[in-house]
Amino acid sequence: MPSSSRTTDKRKLLILDTGPIREMVTFRAVELYGFERLRDDLQLIRDTDSYGRCSRFIASFTRKTTSASVVAELNYWIRKTEPSGQERLWIRVYEEFREMAMDEEVVRLVEMASLGETGLALLTRLGPVDVSLMGLARLHAKDGPLLLTTDDALCRECERARVHASHLRDVTLMVR
Amino acid sequence: MVPDVAAPPQHSKRVEAWVYAVLNPLIENLGREIFLLSKGNLSWRFYSRKCEYIHPTSDYIGISQRPNYEDFIADPLNQGFREKFEGHDRALTRLESSASRFSDGLMRSNLFLKQMKDSLEEYESNAGTNPLYPYNESMRESLPRAVAEFLVNRIDVLPDHYMTQKFWEEYRGKFDLSAQDFEAYGQRQSFQGLAEARAAHKDFSDKLLHDLVSHRQLLCRTYDIPAAPIPVNRSVSHRADAFIV
Repeated sequence: MPSSSRTTDKRKLLILDTGPIREMVTFRAVELYGFERLRDDLQLIRDTDSYGRCSRFIASFTRKTTSASVVAELNYWIRKTEPSGQERLWIRVYEEFREMAMDEEVVRLVEMASLGETGLALLTRLGPVDVSLMGLARLHAKDGPLLLTTDDALCRECERARVHASHLRDVTLMVR
Repeated sequence: MVPDVAAPPQHSKRVEAWVYAVLNPLIENLGREIFLLSKGNLSWRFYSRKCEYIHPTSDYIGISQRPNYEDFIADPLNQGFREKFEGHDRALTRLESSASRFSDGLMRSNLFLKQMKDSLEEYESNAGTNPLYPYNESMRESLPRAVAEFLVNRIDVLPDHYMTQKFWEEYRGKFDLSAQDFEAYGQRQSFQGLAEARAAHKDFSDKLLHDLVSHRQLLCRTYDIPAAPIPVNRSVSHRADAFIV
C-alpha cells in the first residue's frame, strides 16, 4: 500500500477511474456548495478527514491523468441526476479537472482490442472504460503509474496484469 | 365574456404545483445561497464573471415547470413575490458587477501584478528544487486571475490536490488584506463595494427565504395540501387495484 505522507519523494503518475472522481466532486458539491441531496451518493468519502486523506494522496503524484472513456462515464452518471442540477455538476467536474491539472487521453477501441492476445476477451469482460485505464497504465509503464479506482474487479484484474492499483477505500482509511 | 377568477378550491392541484415546483426549489436553493454567502463564498468565477451557484430566481425552476412559475407570480394570491424576485435578481447583478469590478481593478494594478510576478518567481524557484511545489506553465498566465477569484470568494484553504493549493498556502497572507490595505492597489472602494453587495445580497436572500417559507405554510394550511409530495406506494395501490373490477 502506498503511503499518503507528504515526502519530497513524489510519485510520477496517477490514473483516475470514474469512481474516485465522482466521490471527490460529490463531496465538494455537498460540503462547499450545500448540495445536500447528493450526500446519499457518497460511498467512501463521507467526512472531511477521508476527503483530506484522498486529496493528499492525489497530491502526492506529479501528474494525474484519466481516459476520455471516464469522461463519458461521468456524463452517464450526471445524466441520471436531477436535470436542474446537471449543469452545476458539470461545472464541479470541469473545475476539479482544471484545478488538479488533469490530463485526458484517448485509448482507441482498436488499441484496446489489441492489448495482447486476450484484448477482446478483456474488453468483453470489463468494458471499454476499465480497459482504457489499463491501456493507459501500459502506455505510461515507464512512469510506474498507479491506478485509483472504486472497482474491486478492476483491482483484481490489475493485480493479474501486474498493474499497480489502489482502491479508494484503502486510501480514505489510511492513517498518516 | 371573461368569468370572475375564483379562488382555488381545497386540495387545488394548481396550488400544489406552486408549492412543489416553485416554492420548494426556491426555498432549497435560497438556503444554499445563504449557506455560501454566510461563508463569504460567492462562487464567483473569473472565466464566466458570474456566481456559478447563485442564480436569478427563475433559473432555480426547471424548464418544464416555468409555466407554473409564471402562473405563481401572476396570481393575486401571491402578490408581491414578482417584485421580491426582481429585487433578488437585481441584488445578484450588483454582486456580480461588484466582484468583476474588484477583480478587474486588481488586474489593472501594476503593484498587484508586480507582487504576483515576484511571488510566482519565488514559488517557481522553490518548485525547481522541491517537488511539493506543483507547477505548470499555465499558472504564469492564470494565477493572478485565480488569486483575484480567491479574494472575491474569501477562500481560506484549498484542497491539497489543487495545483494552486501550495501557492495560496504560502502567499495568501500577502494578498488577503483589509479594505485599507487594498488602497495600495487603488481598490479600497471596489473592495468595500463588494463587501456591501455581498452583505446586501445575503440580507435580501435571508428575507426572501423567510417570506417564501411563511407563504408555503399559509398555502399548505389554507388549501390543506402537504408541503412536499407524498410518495405513492405502488405495490399497495396495485393490490388495491386488483379488487376493482
